[in-house]
Amino acid sequence: MKLARSLAPWLAVVAVVGLVLPADEASAQKRGGTLVMLVQPEPPTLASYISTSGPIGQVTSKIFEGLLEYDFSLKPVSGLAESWKVSPDGKTITFTLQKGVKFHDGKPFTSADVKFSILEVLKKMHPRGPATFREVTEIDTPDAHTVIFRLAGPAPYLLMALSGYESPMLPKHLYEGTDIKASKYGNAPVGTGPFKFVEWQRGQFIRLDRNPDYWKPGRPYLDRIVARFVADSATRTAAIEKGEAHVGGFAAIPWPDVKTLAKLPTIETTTKGYEMSSPIVQLDFNTRKAPFDNQKVRQAVSYAVSRKAVIENVWFGWGKPATGPINSNFAPVGFYTSQVHNYNVPNGVETANKLLDDAGFKRGAGGIRFEIVHDLTPYGEEWQRYGEYVQQVLAELGIKATLRYEDVATWLKRLYTDYDFQLSSNWIQGLADPVIGVHRLYHSKQIRPGTVFVNETGWSSPRTDQLMDQATVELDPKKRAAVYQEFQKLVVDAAPLVWVHELQFVTVYNKQFKDLIVSPLGLYASFDRAYQDR
Amino acid sequence: MTGGAGRASYVLRRLLQVVPVVLAILVMNFLLLRLAPGDAAQVLAGEAASATPEYMAQLRQRFGLDRPLAVQLLLYIKSMLVLDLGFSFRHNMPVLELILGRLGPTLLLMVTTLVASVATGIVLGLLAAARAGSWRDTLISILALVSYATPLFWLGLMLIVVFSLKLDLLPTSGMETVAAFHEGWARVVDIARHLVLPTLTLSPFYMALYVRLMRAAMLEQAGMDYVTTARAKGLSETRITLAHVLRNAVLPVVTMAGVQVGSLLGGSIVVESVFAWPGLGLLAFQSLFARDFNLLLGIFFLSACLVVAVNLVVDVVYTLLDPRIDV
Repeated sequence: MKLARSLAPWLAVVAVVGLVLPADEASAQKRGGTLVMLVQPEPPTLASYISTSGPIGQVTSKIFEGLLEYDFSLKPVSGLAESWKVSPDGKTITFTLQKGVKFHDGKPFTSADVKFSILEVLKKMHPRGPATFREVTEIDTPDAHTVIFRLAGPAPYLLMALSGYESPMLPKHLYEGTDIKASKYGNAPVGTGPFKFVEWQRGQFIRLDRNPDYWKPGRPYLDRIVARFVADSATRTAAIEKGEAHVGGFAAIPWPDVKTLAKLPTIETTTKGYEMSSPIVQLDFNTRKAPFDNQKVRQAVSYAVSRKAVIENVWFGWGKPATGPINSNFAPVGFYTSQVHNYNVPNGVETANKLLDDAGFKRGAGGIRFEIVHDLTPYGEEWQRYGEYVQQVLAELGIKATLRYEDVATWLKRLYTDYDFQLSSNWIQGLADPVIGVHRLYHSKQIRPGTVFVNETGWSSPRTDQLMDQATVELDPKKRAAVYQEFQKLVVDAAPLVWVHELQFVTVYNKQFKDLIVSPLGLYASFDRAYQDR
Repeated sequence: MTGGAGRASYVLRRLLQVVPVVLAILVMNFLLLRLAPGDAAQVLAGEAASATPEYMAQLRQRFGLDRPLAVQLLLYIKSMLVLDLGFSFRHNMPVLELILGRLGPTLLLMVTTLVASVATGIVLGLLAAARAGSWRDTLISILALVSYATPLFWLGLMLIVVFSLKLDLLPTSGMETVAAFHEGWARVVDIARHLVLPTLTLSPFYMALYVRLMRAAMLEQAGMDYVTTARAKGLSETRITLAHVLRNAVLPVVTMAGVQVGSLLGGSIVVESVFAWPGLGLLAFQSLFARDFNLLLGIFFLSACLVVAVNLVVDVVYTLLDPRIDV
């Protein structure tokens, strides 16, 4: 092990379109150390430009960088682009790139790499890329450090989707002219980031070493990051407790274990760093078929579910009641409103029963109004507990629910291809902008059999479609916010889903490590500022 | 009558018989797996948490999932005939490479477990049989019963809690200390330390069977005529047991060990999962849920080959242990 030594104090002040990055505290950071991070499950590949799967992103975000990074108020700050400018009509975006940036193989990073990454890779092969970059028709590269996006129409959400996790910048010289999807660099990525890919022992770990030629002076501080794969959750908890692993996020550490670990003097926990994924736990109705084609029945279920009970008993207190389709993380930008139909009321079951009576669903033998099958999200134990709770609540309404738990592939096909379900639990990430994360669940054009995590409820309305289309092209944040306020009111009233709570993930980490979670990207950030304090 | 040449032609004959069996296994596996709903493209898109229709279509086309089932099967058999295990699109890697990477750790755990469980099984069975009915016999029988009945995941986690968290003697999981990246002998020692708990977890279950088998076989052999003859010759009891009875009694144990090599591959999914051991069982388990059929079929193929090969070895070992058995 190398001895930790403090670096000479340094300051980095980067001017970015009127924004100034906070200067780091001088001389606090120490060089050296290895961070072992739990990644669960093991990623299939490291081709983050083809899959946005969480585990892939957790590793590749240290290797690849994007044009922009983001601060906790969800505002873009400079990344590989030192500055950028959007034209008044929103149809031209000009980026000025950082100078002296090199890929891990020593070749310089230039505007040609940006053009190639976006037009040839992300717009064609990324799961969300065709939507994100739909308006980008051409990219001009007048010189090595200038990139001009030419858009067919304004796309205000575009600037939210340029992080290293979402839109990684790839080395053109390694991918051009090859079958990009089958590229060997998909398993051994070469980027510009603070850490270089070294080796991947399948089933065990991925090793990333410090990039000594990183463009940010003095960074990164850590010598090495190792991503470890441990399939059993109890063992993951033990590895963190023993200090064999130092950080685990998303659901890598089971919620009940988080409480136990948090009591240890060596461990710190935080719920920050998930602001750009904004997940909401839901119940999805199939609105095509009775009984959930009836708005009153859907509203009744929404009234009956106690947000508090779910958060406290199933998710051990991590969560915040959700009010509608847009996560309250979007409050700082004005897109979120809580002024909608409120289902989270104390006498919910009573209200629900009355609604069902009004809708004409009389109680029959044994007090049962009707029977349904409730499908459960196949992502682990908490989803089964959640299903059991919903089953109990429905019983109070005279709805007899049978629970069905299948494996991921079967469940996805049932919900998103066959539409062969009545009521299913689900969780959907709101992502960095509603256009990317939210519209897909409500727009009529997003009813697409075979495509996962889009509109499977079958619900849509001409007015909400229109509002979403407006929000997609509206450049003025105030006007856009107004559009979303109306959208939320209409959707919440129609209740195609029950928005139960905003899921709060917890990152558990060893106190030796500082500055791990420094942006809304959380574990999807580059860790260039992370350091070990021994 | 049984010379080296006879043995060689026997082995060859057996190998030829294997070919149609393995081929039938392949076709059945292929068809059975297609019964599972959903496909690899859906799982990948599901993991990505979002996808456009274009993206899904691209994936299916690349994976060959857009072709008719019969064509997919024919293509698969064609490549298997030249021992090409195919490509795992999920991992973007040849199946063979993926499997070979896991084979070493799997064999390491399997062989250690097999040796540990057979050795302790034989010794304990021997000790129990030598004083059948005594308190020692009862104690060993209870131990065997408890070992057999203990759930593997529970035992594994308890061992972690005791030896790793409380006593701080051994690492919790993994095959080596990833923060250190040891080399040379330090690495060997490191891997050995990581091997202790998985072996301790997996061995007792198999050991229990061998104890029972060994004890029963020893008692059965002890009443045979040749033992009376040996005793009449004036041989010591120790020599009778070790040189004559043991050799005969060990045959059923060897048979059982051969049969269990196959289940040891699969039975270690739990242990691989609890100890994060990079073995084949867990890989197979994960590829099933990911609908990564090329990889799964490759693992099935390899397991089938392994079981067949081990059974062949067992048959040959028979002839060495007991020269009366003819090939």
